[in-house]
Amino acid sequence: MIITDNLTKKYGEHTALDHLNLNVNAGEIYCLLGANGAGKTTTINLLLGFIEPTSGSAFINQLNVKDDAKATKRFLAYIPENLMLYPGLTAVENLDYFSGIAGKKFGNNQLKTFLEEAGLQADAFGNRISTFSKGMRQKVGIAIALAKEAKVLLLDEPTSGLDPKASNEFGLLLQQLRSKGVATLMATHDLFRAKEVGSHIGIMKDGQLKQQFVAEDISLSELEQAYLNTMDYKELAS
Amino acid sequence: MIAKTFLKETKELLREGRVRIAVIIVLMLLGVAVWISTRHYQNVNAQYAMAKTAERVIWDNQGEKNPHSAAHYGTYAFKPKYPLALLDQGVDKFAGTSIFLEAHNRNEAQFSAAADQTALARFGDLTPDFILLFILPLLIILLGYNSFTKEREMGTLTLLQSQGISSWKLLLGKWTAVFLPIFLITTALFLIAGLLLGNLKDFGVFNWSSLVMMYLVYIGYYIIFINIVLLISSKTKKSGISLVISLCVWIIACLAAPKAASNIAENKHPYPSRQEFAANILKDKKQGLDGHNPWSKEAKLLEQKVLQEYGVDSLHQLPFNFDGYRMQKSEEHEAEVYLKHYNYLKDQYTQQAKVYRGLAAISPYLPTRFLSMAIANTDYATHWDFADAAEDYRVATQKFLNDNFAMNSQYGDWAYQADASFWKELPAFEYDPPELKETLKSNGSNLMVMGVWLLGSFGLLLFTTKNI
Repeated sequence: MIITDNLTKKYGEHTALDHLNLNVNAGEIYCLLGANGAGKTTTINLLLGFIEPTSGSAFINQLNVKDDAKATKRFLAYIPENLMLYPGLTAVENLDYFSGIAGKKFGNNQLKTFLEEAGLQADAFGNRISTFSKGMRQKVGIAIALAKEAKVLLLDEPTSGLDPKASNEFGLLLQQLRSKGVATLMATHDLFRAKEVGSHIGIMKDGQLKQQFVAEDISLSELEQAYLNTMDYKELAS
Repeated sequence: MIAKTFLKETKELLREGRVRIAVIIVLMLLGVAVWISTRHYQNVNAQYAMAKTAERVIWDNQGEKNPHSAAHYGTYAFKPKYPLALLDQGVDKFAGTSIFLEAHNRNEAQFSAAADQTALARFGDLTPDFILLFILPLLIILLGYNSFTKEREMGTLTLLQSQGISSWKLLLGKWTAVFLPIFLITTALFLIAGLLLGNLKDFGVFNWSSLVMMYLVYIGYYIIFINIVLLISSKTKKSGISLVISLCVWIIACLAAPKAASNIAENKHPYPSRQEFAANILKDKKQGLDGHNPWSKEAKLLEQKVLQEYGVDSLHQLPFNFDGYRMQKSEEHEAEVYLKHYNYLKDQYTQQAKVYRGLAAISPYLPTRFLSMAIANTDYATHWDFADAAEDYRVATQKFLNDNFAMNSQYGDWAYQADASFWKELPAFEYDPPELKETLKSNGSNLMVMGVWLLGSFGLLLFTTKNI
């Protein structure tokens, strides 16, 4: 569902992403771990078509992102670190607008069902987004993905800044989407969450994918060790 | 997608306190302005009707009198107030409302409303055209300055892009959301004005087509402003910067450009001073026949020519009173002198108007202002037209009086008095302003400039927002 083929992005002399080869199938959650500047967000921006690759290709649902940028967007949903919605509109209105832009038309009840599925409390449906916490906004983001029936979900540090409860709830939501066959690529710093929700985990450094694991095959402590080794944090690793 | 964006933007605008307050203030101002203008219009029209009737009664009831005495006694031509002056008072306030018509002299229009006011009148009046030309563009800025910048600032643009939004559909949705309130306010104002005017006792010149044309001109003006404001919003990163740039454009287009245009036009094609103008006329008048001076060289030449033409030796043998004939010839000479000097003024005005039209390229305010005043018949061109009509009437009146004097008395018979019923034979002065078709034809260049602004601003907006 998500394929990158030697995907490379250079800014002058600086290589932000270096020949990335990824394959995320339907029903998989691929967690990209890495420090700041590792190339995680660049990967997501390239998959969204926000920036053009220097070389290589990215595919969403077998469509080349560069050639069919608009068509690929029909299949994907995106939740950034700080999902910003319209503060003056309610959760239902925001969902109605964003799903409307994606060409979907739903009645009020259906919209509420999506919000419910995304875990938002019913009494918050009619409240303005300006009163929402970050966790609540992320849930609306998931509702947007649900309403869009997205086959691909791109997440950029979605749990950053969430309290453990909200973070856990978000993880459960991702599992639900996984069971519906959604292919998810999540950039994160959170090893614990990556191990919890991911089906696959990759560790990036300096724009390169250094290591890949099947989440089931590795324990949290092994993952932590691998991460610290990759990052050259020798002292911490020992 | 367009409808969704439009609804979303409208909801956001309606929920914003500043927009609600601004719209309420604009509506209140418009209400007050229309009320003041309607009362002013009714008062002026009542005064016009009263003055016109009273002056005619005075003229008709002069009793037995020498026609040339009546010519010096004179009468007035009153400028009517046109219905659309309710919306745009144009130059009416400064141009004078009546012209004194007398023998030998072409007088300027006098009794302007501005002359009757104190120095505080410099602050201007609260009129619908002030709201339409200055305040509504400000409201457009308030509605649209953050149309795109807020998406950037809030971070929603990224989400919109990830949803695969089409740039032009997003633009059109936002455009419609800014346009609709302006459209509703303008439509309501013109509808109210139309209903008020349709029910007022006007002088038969109100027609809906002129009102609709004026309405379309203002809608065009607002579309241009909306395009400019959205263009700025789409190209700037911060709402504050977008607001400042939009306000700068408003200041340049609505305040600075008209004043600069006025200065440039006056510098390039200056009007003579009143003193200089009067002195030039006097000089030219002196070089020709003076009806009151039978001993002048010109009078003697005329005398010889007429005697020769009629084959008689004495003025007493002529079949008419030569005094009346000389008066008429003198009037014709003076009328020519006035025509020459006023045509020079008109040429200067035409050249100035050309400069204005040239500068309209830098401000959509200028063609809008000119078109609005022209359609309302409150522009300077209409005033000129009225003054020319009054002059034609004055010349015809002098001929009517001089002919009576010449044909009904003998040479030297200054005691001749026309019959008391004679004065009623002079048709009353009636003035019809140019028709809409004629007005639009003479303002073709302004319409063209508006068209270029409309197409240009639309084109630029679509082009620059292609990749938001």
